[in-house]
Amino acid sequence: MSKAIKMIATIAAILAITWFYVNPTDAGSWTKSELRILEELSIYSLPPLPPDVSNAVAQNIDAARFGHSLFFDKRMSANRLVSCATCHSPEKQFSDGLPKGRGIGLSDRNTRTIVGSAYSPWQYWDGRKDSQWSQALSPLEDPDEHGGNRMYYARFISEDPEYRRVYESLFGSLSHFNDKKRFPDAAGPIGNPAVFSAWENMTTKDRHMVNIVFANIGKVLAAYQRLIIPGESKFDYYVEAVLQNNNDKAETIFTKQEIRGLRLFINEAKCTDCHNGPLFTNNEFHNTGNLSFPGEMPDRGRINGVRKVLADPFNCLGPYSDDPTRNCPELTFVRKGAELIGAMRTPTLRNLEGTAPFGHKGQFQTLGQVLEQYNDSPLAMIGHNEVENPLGLSTSELESIEAFLNTLNSPLTTSPEWLNPPRLGISSIAVLQ
Amino acid sequence: MHKVMIFLLITMSSTIFSSETTSITRSGYFHISYQSELEPITINQIHNWVLHIETPEGDPVSGAKVSVSGGMPLHNHGLPTDPKVTTDLGRGKYKLEGLRFHMRGYWELIVIIEIQGRRDTGIVKLNI
Repeated sequence: MSKAIKMIATIAAILAITWFYVNPTDAGSWTKSELRILEELSIYSLPPLPPDVSNAVAQNIDAARFGHSLFFDKRMSANRLVSCATCHSPEKQFSDGLPKGRGIGLSDRNTRTIVGSAYSPWQYWDGRKDSQWSQALSPLEDPDEHGGNRMYYARFISEDPEYRRVYESLFGSLSHFNDKKRFPDAAGPIGNPAVFSAWENMTTKDRHMVNIVFANIGKVLAAYQRLIIPGESKFDYYVEAVLQNNNDKAETIFTKQEIRGLRLFINEAKCTDCHNGPLFTNNEFHNTGNLSFPGEMPDRGRINGVRKVLADPFNCLGPYSDDPTRNCPELTFVRKGAELIGAMRTPTLRNLEGTAPFGHKGQFQTLGQVLEQYNDSPLAMIGHNEVENPLGLSTSELESIEAFLNTLNSPLTTSPEWLNPPRLGISSIAVLQ
Repeated sequence: MHKVMIFLLITMSSTIFSSETTSITRSGYFHISYQSELEPITINQIHNWVLHIETPEGDPVSGAKVSVSGGMPLHNHGLPTDPKVTTDLGRGKYKLEGLRFHMRGYWELIVIIEIQGRRDTGIVKLNI
């Protein structure tokens, strides 16, 4: 009898010790270095938005209002059915909830959110753009997205009385582009051969005139998009309580599973190697061995993106930047080389709600599938998977991380009027929808 | 015995992977130290350093060709930028531009110094 009791007591002790080490859930048990990481991840560590000196109207509220109107304006497309908000819907965290963006056709990659993107030195999965304003130009001419050409957009702004008035108040005199011999109906360096040929036949000076208007369209769109910033999430309230040593409060905010998930996130799962800082991204490029979209060749990612951004006339060093000093350290000291093969920019983990599927090609239907990918760490199809060792976490541990990730949803700090198409009275710009 | 070994391992690893603001090049020709414009050095911010290069006797080494590479040896990856020495500031000081660290942990910066046919390599170690 006593032997049986001893055995039961020993098993109970082992279970208790195992439980303590495997599943420490009390809010007060964070180490000093863990607390430092929690503070770093908290939204309260988000610095003020850095200035974009390449965009002279980045902080201009009138430019933001102008950009707000353009963002929702479906006339900004070849078929007049696509606006920026088609793929960057405010109701879906400025993304679209689709595997790949769908404008006029099917885009090449998954739509990234605009939320917090003003903080990134690079845009797109492959970083082929180095500013929000330069990024905003690319979909306008992509045949599968807005499908237009820069001549069309320049003339459109010029011919709309309200847009013309606001444009001239911000940037000065705007040409009417009414000489069709100099400025054909459709012209641009991207698109079908007729559009390309018309562009090539224009003089360098005229092309430059059109490019200036085109770049300014991107700059007002960026002035608006800079306002789209995430707010405080359940995670941030939890960290605030923990840092105040208010463990009773902390335990009312987070469940035991969420605390366990957070603990795994910053330790064994090594997520903060890349998903670090208050936006849960280092905005760097990593090959994590993600499989390609079924039926497609693997995406070369950053190795192509770096070539494109260096050749882009709308980059920070180019003639359309407003920075007279061309102080562009990220572009000047950009890295190249084999490590970038198949590398994609780390996405933010804030506000993932409603944005599934995930991955650069929307290959993962759920967050659980993304976590499985890291847990297995397969060989990369091209390049080298930086996650060299499978994490080897249990199903319950992966579920805890997922539960934690769901605590990162928050309302935006952006005023509600910016999240809907402009109405009469909000700005002096006409209703467009 | 085990405790002694664990103590030795911890001591060794903290020595191997600790930050050092000065280092001696492999062949002992130069001493390297640095001053960061960003203090404390934190992640995800591009910034510049001033490298100081001296002889073992403490004489500044100017006019050298200095290049830099590096990465996180424990993660098997390089630097996220391609930092470059852009200016010889004189008196053994060199402006190193375009550094950024995108992860917390142990980093190594490999500094190659060439002057008058003499070439030597030093490793600057830092924990972020």
